[in-house]
Amino acid sequence: MSNVLIAGAGPAGLTAAYELSKLGLNPTVLEADDQVGGLSRTVNYRGYRFDIGGHRFFSKVPLINQLWEEMLREDFLVRPRLSRIYYRQKYFDYPLKAANALAGLGPIEAMLIGLSYTKARMFPQADETNFEQWVVNRFGERLYEIFFKTYTEKVWGIPCNEISADWAAQRIKNLSLREAIKNALFGSGRAADGQVITTLIDQFNYPRFGPGQMWERCKDLLASRGHETVQGVKVERLRHRHGKVECMYGTSSNGETVELGADHFISTMPLRELILALDPPPPEKVLQAANYLRYRDYLTVVLMVKREEIFPDNWIYIHAPEVKMGRIQNYKNWSPVMVPDSSRTSLGLEYFLWEKDEEWEWSQDRLIKLGIEECTRIGLIEPSEVEDGTVVRMKKAYPVYDQHYTESVDIIRNYLETFANLQTVGRNGLHRYNNQDHSMLTAVYAARNIVGEKNDVWSVNTEMEYHEEVRQSSTKGDRLTPQRVAPPETAEKVIEAAFAKLDPLAMGVALGVVASLVLFWATTVLLLKGGPVVGPTLGLLDNFFLGYSVTWSGAFWGLAQAAFGGFALGFLFAWLRNWSLTAYAFLVQRSAEAKERGDLLDKV
Amino acid sequence: MAHKNRETETLSKAVARIQAGVLAITCGLICGLGLFAMTAWLLVKGGSQVGQHLQLLGNYFIGYSVSWLGSVVGLIYGSLFGGLIGWGIGRVYNWVVTLRQGPEA
Ligand SMILES: Cc1cc2nc3c(=O)[nH]c(=O)nc-3n(C[C@H](O)[C@H](O)[C@H](O)COP(=O)(O)OP(=O)(O)OC[C@H]3O[C@@H](n4cnc5c(N)ncnc54)[C@H](O)[C@@H]3O)c2cc1C
Repeated sequence: MSNVLIAGAGPAGLTAAYELSKLGLNPTVLEADDQVGGLSRTVNYRGYRFDIGGHRFFSKVPLINQLWEEMLREDFLVRPRLSRIYYRQKYFDYPLKAANALAGLGPIEAMLIGLSYTKARMFPQADETNFEQWVVNRFGERLYEIFFKTYTEKVWGIPCNEISADWAAQRIKNLSLREAIKNALFGSGRAADGQVITTLIDQFNYPRFGPGQMWERCKDLLASRGHETVQGVKVERLRHRHGKVECMYGTSSNGETVELGADHFISTMPLRELILALDPPPPEKVLQAANYLRYRDYLTVVLMVKREEIFPDNWIYIHAPEVKMGRIQNYKNWSPVMVPDSSRTSLGLEYFLWEKDEEWEWSQDRLIKLGIEECTRIGLIEPSEVEDGTVVRMKKAYPVYDQHYTESVDIIRNYLETFANLQTVGRNGLHRYNNQDHSMLTAVYAARNIVGEKNDVWSVNTEMEYHEEVRQSSTKGDRLTPQRVAPPETAEKVIEAAFAKLDPLAMGVALGVVASLVLFWATTVLLLKGGPVVGPTLGLLDNFFLGYSVTWSGAFWGLAQAAFGGFALGFLFAWLRNWSLTAYAFLVQRSAEAKERGDLLDKV
Repeated sequence: MAHKNRETETLSKAVARIQAGVLAITCGLICGLGLFAMTAWLLVKGGSQVGQHLQLLGNYFIGYSVSWLGSVVGLIYGSLFGGLIGWGIGRVYNWVVTLRQGPEA
């Protein structure tokens, strides 16, 4: 009997199996499809390879980077990134560059953008519950309308004011003042293991033959260790008793029923499917919560074009509302071997749909025709250049973050926690808009939980940074375990010291005391020395200290006034110094946040 | 705004103490070198009555005059005097902070 059964051979399922095999357990993976990789697969059509979208490999989690390197080695390429936005028959660099955007939009639009930005920053909307409010507060109404609204609505199929602001907040890190300063002082570009993090904006890693290569390789590695990945078996039922799952039932592609038992179960199935597959069924409330969960579906129309180069970008965001496609991928710019013949180009036109949309049901030919029409309309190709085409439909590509999903997920989560040997992980498994790295991390956590660790898979958040270090554990052989590390203590100390406030009162007193003593001493020295005219020059101080003179009474009067003047000066100095330090910190935070938001569209 | 203020609080809760020795050296260097430079500048500029006002510092710094030797004497006096002022400010400041906040942790 296999002791761990995993439903789904996407990044999460295969990573769980890989980790379990390292831990000396015996995992078996059941995959509904005839190909592994899930959403991160690479489809091969007549030698043309393409992903579902384009999959950049980038992670701040050292453990995940290490896993990727370990699996692919020299086939893990570093690729430059180039992307633009198509809007109003023009191309805009993305991430946006001021000069380029200004040239494209014209001075009047640029001025209006500036005004609406200023208004948003000065009078932000107090309520920030939906995505529209979130973006408008940060970019202004006009930039939102031009660069965010149409694309986001194409992707999600719901108005931006119905998308939860959680989603943006989770994808875009909100830097605290302290974090921003720390990044400014010590650099944000390092992972917890000290490796320099190259930003996803300029370049990214990509497997030579597309993301699917990673997962095919993972499957092969598992097979070489004797762990099976059974393809074509869709898990339909999980029988359970007394809080423990006993077996998974599935149907194979040739219609046979498969029944497999295990000690532990990991599911990467969509959360809704998992709940509906439980036998006996969960309480009504949980079923209802599962049925509330929504998913956005996705299809790619791939066109094979008889032209060596169409555009230099990896992808182009299509904001133009006159066409339905949301993005175009140019796969040979991801890796040259994605096309079988370098004189040809394959374009992936991405359509974001609901399964119930009529386009979802359209025939392949009709969709290809639509794709050719739209590419022609925006001036990319001539219809006669298209040699071939294909369509890949992908259900449940995006877990939807509507206004109710958190409540539903919480109900389901609480229910699933009553099972002793069932864990759900991955993107749809947690109903989280995770990229591969975080989907994989949840899988690593789940695998380690089976051997006694207590990791919370739900705590893995899309934009969360992991302060994890992979350390060799002396007690557990070569098993690598993640351990939280505190941010560098020295950094904390430096910030604490550098931003410590001067006490204005104390500074006032100090300057007051010293100034008064100096003036008193200066006056008395001259008085003691005597002479026909005593201290005519020092006496000029009466211009500032009214009534002061180089006399014994003047010495005391000067002492009092210098004490007062010194106090005022010291107080003001300390206050200004504190204020300017704070202002500096806010500026640093502002610019760090702006940098964080620079690639917002990539996160949509 | 209240939120921002809270954030500044968390940036650093500490109240700065002044290293009196460091402030003494800083002020000492500024005053010493300052007096040296001022004296030298007046000498280089020359004229009929060189530094008639700066000369008056001789009332306090015995031996000081607006001359090349005086500039070196001024350097020493200025350093000592500036150092004393810096040290004084630092000590008084720390003393008041300690009174208000308690001794440093
Ligand atoms: C358009 C698009 C672009 C993306 N771009 C990036 C990117 O640039 N970088 C990045 O890191 N990530 C990207 N992602 C996200 C990435 O694809 C996912 O994070 C990752 O694939 C999730 O892995 P998973 O194993 O959790 O789920 P999936 O990839 O969905 O895999 C789940 C697997 O389980 C199988 N399965 C489901 N139900 C059953 C069942 N009942 N029985 C048996 N098997 C079942 C499925 O067939 C599938 O193979 C993108 C996603 C999309 C849709």
